[in-house]
Amino acid sequence: MRFEEELVELLPRLRRFARGLARDASDADDLCQAAIERALKSRDQWQQGTRLDSWMYRITRNLWIDERRAAGRRGVHAPIDDAVTQVAGDGAAEVEAGALRGDVDAAMARLPDEQREVVMLVLVEGYAYREAADILELPIGTVTSRLARGRETLMHYLGEAA
Amino acid sequence: MSFDPDTIAAFVDGELDDLTARRIEREAESDAALAAEIARYRALTAKLSAHFAPVVDEAVPERLRALLVEGGIDISMADRRNAKHRLFAPVHWGAIAASLVFGLTIGLRPWVPAADIASVNGTLVASGALADALDTQLASDQLANAEIRIGLSFRDRQGRVCRSFEARDVSGIGCRDSGRWALERAIGGRANPEYRQASSGELLAAAAVMMAGDPFDFAAERAARDKGWRN
Repeated sequence: MRFEEELVELLPRLRRFARGLARDASDADDLCQAAIERALKSRDQWQQGTRLDSWMYRITRNLWIDERRAAGRRGVHAPIDDAVTQVAGDGAAEVEAGALRGDVDAAMARLPDEQREVVMLVLVEGYAYREAADILELPIGTVTSRLARGRETLMHYLGEAA
Repeated sequence: MSFDPDTIAAFVDGELDDLTARRIEREAESDAALAAEIARYRALTAKLSAHFAPVVDEAVPERLRALLVEGGIDISMADRRNAKHRLFAPVHWGAIAASLVFGLTIGLRPWVPAADIASVNGTLVASGALADALDTQLASDQLANAEIRIGLSFRDRQGRVCRSFEARDVSGIGCRDSGRWALERAIGGRANPEYRQASSGELLAAAAVMMAGDPFDFAAERAARDKGWRN
């Protein structure tokens, strides 16, 4: 199958991954677009016989991290975090947990980036720990410990609903 | 319960060796706390999967497919990027949402004349005067001060006839689908101050991305109308 055709087949899943990372739907599609453009430009770097999906997920994730870092330098914060903090007030963790009960988006928004990407890859995209570690270029132990912390936070916020 | 959280997680994630996995399964049969813990982990995975699953079933936006599918309109990456930024900047979505809500609100009140947009089975479609204009009006033959102005007519990659339009409350692109004009793109109308800056360039760019082949000329537009805009 041609490179482009494989990418087209991958698009629905890639959009889901991007949605989990970027949260906002149009930001996520912007991220996908940037990833596709990057992939087309650096297609020579993809090695035939290796998995295109892992390569694509890695590109997407790296672009997202770059963008988050740039936004951080510009002092831009994700608005949803601010909104949640305002609702809950200082240290009102339980109130917050109650307010977020059942709201997956809000609970995901509470995760640090490095936990959110692991949660998306393993729990939503269904990658094995080893595959997720390859995509993220991290040791497998780092992946499992981030996954454990992310899970704990999600279970806390999603409560019995989870 | 003799298994730590990491082992339970690995079990639920299918990461344990067969032997250990079988031990957990056996023990869970008699250990209610362990069984409940496994259920809690599984429930989280299920909840997340269910939450994100609908994204996979969404139609992939044309702007993404167009990057990969041959025969696309040849507009440069830079043009596309500019078009993208204009089209998807949050401020515009706000205006779009406002226009659509406005239109829909009117549409839901039966004592007010039919509005230009209606919702049919969850799809936004043109109705009233807008549907009439899309049905009958030719770009090559419309009054300069027409209430609704038709722009480009063209065929999209799915083979549907699509037409761009500009009106007071909403402007956009309608595509002929199951006997209706499904609204594929919508931005604020002429009455919206933002619209003047954005102008019809935005619609042109959006149309360029959707288009398969060239836009209709005068004869093709007329012929398509006479055939009832069928595919």
